[in-house]
Amino acid sequence: MNHGITPNEWERHLNGTLTTTEQERIDAHLIGCLPCWDFYQRMMTLNAKLQEAGEMKRDAFALSDERLRAGLLNVFTRIHNAETDEPATPLQTRLNELEAVMSVFCGEQAAVNAMQAAAAHSPAKSLKQITHENWEPFLQRLIAIAQVLCGRTGARWLLESGRL
Amino acid sequence: MDEQTAIRLFFDERTDEAFCALFVEVYPRARRYFLVRNVDQMTAEDLAQAVLFRIHQKADELKDRALFYGWLFTIARNELLQHWRKQQSRIVTVELEPLAENFTVEPTGMLQLEFDEWLNFLEPNERELLLLRFVEGLTYEELTVTLGIPLGTVESRLFHVRKKLLRIADAQSGKPKASANSKTSK
Repeated sequence: MNHGITPNEWERHLNGTLTTTEQERIDAHLIGCLPCWDFYQRMMTLNAKLQEAGEMKRDAFALSDERLRAGLLNVFTRIHNAETDEPATPLQTRLNELEAVMSVFCGEQAAVNAMQAAAAHSPAKSLKQITHENWEPFLQRLIAIAQVLCGRTGARWLLESGRL
Repeated sequence: MDEQTAIRLFFDERTDEAFCALFVEVYPRARRYFLVRNVDQMTAEDLAQAVLFRIHQKADELKDRALFYGWLFTIARNELLQHWRKQQSRIVTVELEPLAENFTVEPTGMLQLEFDEWLNFLEPNERELLLLRFVEGLTYEELTVTLGIPLGTVESRLFHVRKKLLRIADAQSGKPKASANSKTSK
């Protein structure tokens, strides 16, 4: 027994997507059928609870502007690498990560400048010439700059991210 | 700028500025998709970035812009499956640190707890349907694209999930079984 209402019609009724004719037929039935009315009411209450809980869950995962910016930077780096057909080397990827981490603390431009300054004052002399061999002095130089620009927390985070 | 304008702008113009606007609107949702499915924050961000990268690279493949979110969550789902496959192929041993004495669980609302508890009672495909519908707010049409099932199946599955939840709620509150349970059983 289904009182002439299919699961799909119930669902469309709850969702408000029934045609006018279907809507009128089901409304007429609900008025005269107590069990169906009770079922409908409870479904509506459940639906409202689900909507509210879904909204709360959405709010629980808010994203900070800094994380948003770091994410955008990473995606643009991937897009750029894909466009130039140059697969990013592990070192290049690590440099991008360091820049993204630093941007969170002191902004994008300051991060770029700090990276360049650290490279210039290390044996590598420039970002392009950084290798596994001269990575450590470059990283130490960058950490020293980061302590001033980003504070101890930022510098520590950078150190963790920069370990090969 | 609202979501719809950002989507339209990106597909019309395909400029870096338009992609930035799209990113701002879409990235938090893509990231949340993974977080809700118990992926840790760093991995969730990596996967969400992979989704946005694919959107940028494969924008030509979307035929109907109205179904953008269906398409997005299909990409997200594939990324998640790929991630799980990789995870399964690794065996990781971790040292568990003892919990601090003053460790406390962040309090959440009753409704939130109830919702999470409900999810535990559902089958994986039912859970997925509920999350996409009520957390991501997908329309029926977007659900058909994401899940790859016909509209009628989306409707009937949603109805049966609701009915199951009603039974769980009844059982938890000690009420007798829903009298309208037999309504749809022939």
